[in-house]
Amino acid sequence: MRPILLSGHERALTQIKYNREGDLLFSTAKDQHICAWFAHNGERLGTYHGHQGAIWTVDVDPTTTIIASGSADNTIRLWEVKTGKLLKTWDFPTAVKRVEFNEDGTKLLGVTEKRMGHLGTIVVLDIKVDVNAEQSDEKVMTIVCDESKATVAGWSYLSKYIIAGHEDGSVSQYDGKTGDLYYNIPVHELNQQITDLQWNSDRTYFITASKDKTSKLISAKDLEVMKTYSADTPLNSATITRKKDFVILGGGQAAMDVTTTSARQGKFEARFYHKIFEEEIGRVRGHFGPLNTVAADPTGKGYASGGEDGYVRVHHFDKGYFDFEYEVERERHNKLAAEGR
Amino acid sequence: MAAQAKHDWADDDDLDEVSTDLPPPQKIQNKDGTTTIIEYRYNDEGQKAKTTRRIRYITHREVVNPRVAERKQWAKFGQSAKDGLGPAHDTTTVGENIIFKPSTNWRKDARDESKDPNAQAMKDKLKDKKVKCRICNGEHFTARCPYKDTMAPIGEAAGGAADAAVGMGDEGGAGPAATGAAGAGKKGSYVPPALRGAGAGGAGAGAGERMGGKYGERDDLATLRVTNVSEMAEENELRDMFERFGRVTRVFLAKDRDTGMAKGFAFISFADRGDAVKACEKMDGFGFRHLILRVEFAKKAQ
Repeated sequence: MRPILLSGHERALTQIKYNREGDLLFSTAKDQHICAWFAHNGERLGTYHGHQGAIWTVDVDPTTTIIASGSADNTIRLWEVKTGKLLKTWDFPTAVKRVEFNEDGTKLLGVTEKRMGHLGTIVVLDIKVDVNAEQSDEKVMTIVCDESKATVAGWSYLSKYIIAGHEDGSVSQYDGKTGDLYYNIPVHELNQQITDLQWNSDRTYFITASKDKTSKLISAKDLEVMKTYSADTPLNSATITRKKDFVILGGGQAAMDVTTTSARQGKFEARFYHKIFEEEIGRVRGHFGPLNTVAADPTGKGYASGGEDGYVRVHHFDKGYFDFEYEVERERHNKLAAEGR
Repeated sequence: MAAQAKHDWADDDDLDEVSTDLPPPQKIQNKDGTTTIIEYRYNDEGQKAKTTRRIRYITHREVVNPRVAERKQWAKFGQSAKDGLGPAHDTTTVGENIIFKPSTNWRKDARDESKDPNAQAMKDKLKDKKVKCRICNGEHFTARCPYKDTMAPIGEAAGGAADAAVGMGDEGGAGPAATGAAGAGKKGSYVPPALRGAGAGGAGAGAGERMGGKYGERDDLATLRVTNVSEMAEENELRDMFERFGRVTRVFLAKDRDTGMAKGFAFISFADRGDAVKACEKMDGFGFRHLILRVEFAKKAQ
């Protein structure tokens, strides 16, 4: 496969998101604009300007009408996807590290940083998915993380729970309506930060990535750790592929140590693991720095990775990727096909 | 001053660039179905740059969600507002081809590849090497020889034999070995690096240092030349076809620089020569995309 290199940012990438149909790609970096790209050919649709600081996170609503972004300038902003127009700004006391729409796009959660005497919080905002509507200023709910700050968070299926990953390596489950804490389970090594949390297609389970060099597949309902994928480097991001039962992990040595290592040693590769068998099945190299974010195309045709080197690399898989199956999988498919007839 | 008013010839180019607009882009239809596009733009230093591209358009139809189709018509905005149709070359480039094939034993494959050229060569080199005493030819270091004080080292003949043992097993036949022998014969005369380490014994050993190091060796081992390849062929297809016989380390399919069509020949390198022999036998005369392949061992690059 020939990756498409997108060089729309001058600084390290922080997050990449595909929209629901997988035709658009949004990227944020530590420079101060968001880029929107066509995923199939890497053409840039446009850029969104207005933030005054590094942008940590972006998310797009299910209808690709609006996007939300969270930034180190202590704001969450809402943009119109089509024109790049700024629709709304919410101010917070500290930086916003993560935003995510729920399944129908009516609610948005934001994770704010613990700093300057303020505790880390998870806030929930009501959103009207309409570019002309007046968005409300009010925060519907605020969850305060007094033990360990949340680094990532997301909405489970039916917006029933809010799942958060913490700096101390634990994962919590909150009620999606009241904000009550149900569970807090230490899934990763103590004080090894959880760096990413991404959902499967129906949001019944999710994958975490952690600095403790592992990534785990966890169910949303009871926070049961179903699978563990171990790598040999701190992980920054993990995603679940569609169509094929794989997961993609991205990581690499911490950005500050990078200049002392060569690209080969630094392990700046996207790692593919089989989701069920937990076995590594291949790597894709290309970045000059650690991978900060990986995202799987919702159509299952490819994936994109963003690195500390400022590049987004969009990959469209070859036939060999789709043909790959474990022996047991092949047998099962053959059996099912035979029965079908 | 008068001189100032007069136009200095050295500034000529600069002035021209500022005053004239960029010529409009040109499109020329070529006879072979390709299109040549000539575009002009200003590069980062403000100089005028001309880009000539030769493209073949292949129409590929895909049915998409109407919303996706609608989004494709959206006007660009922000920093991309001035970009034309299609990907802009300052933000979007195509990277080098990456071969990614998931496999359960990829770790083993990767390791093989990393040690392939150098470690393997070293192993070959040391395979038949034995510790040999220069004094008595016994299997110990010279310094440990019991006859160290009583006997003088034996002469050149024995030394030559030892060298021959060190030389790598290489199929480079009698030619280099003979010259190597001549070189070693006249002790002290200059021997080019390529012939160094060649034995006087003439055991067929003769690989010294060579320009291009590992590539040369790899090519000699097990590379097939495949000719009469269809111009629609892809490297992947060739790889798939030949991988049946063993691990393929390299596939090179010559392609036309402009059109991207295959030129009709390819080189396939195998990790193991045995596999290459097998592949050569089986694939010679194989029908592939309406053409009959011709497969033979690649001749050594001279």
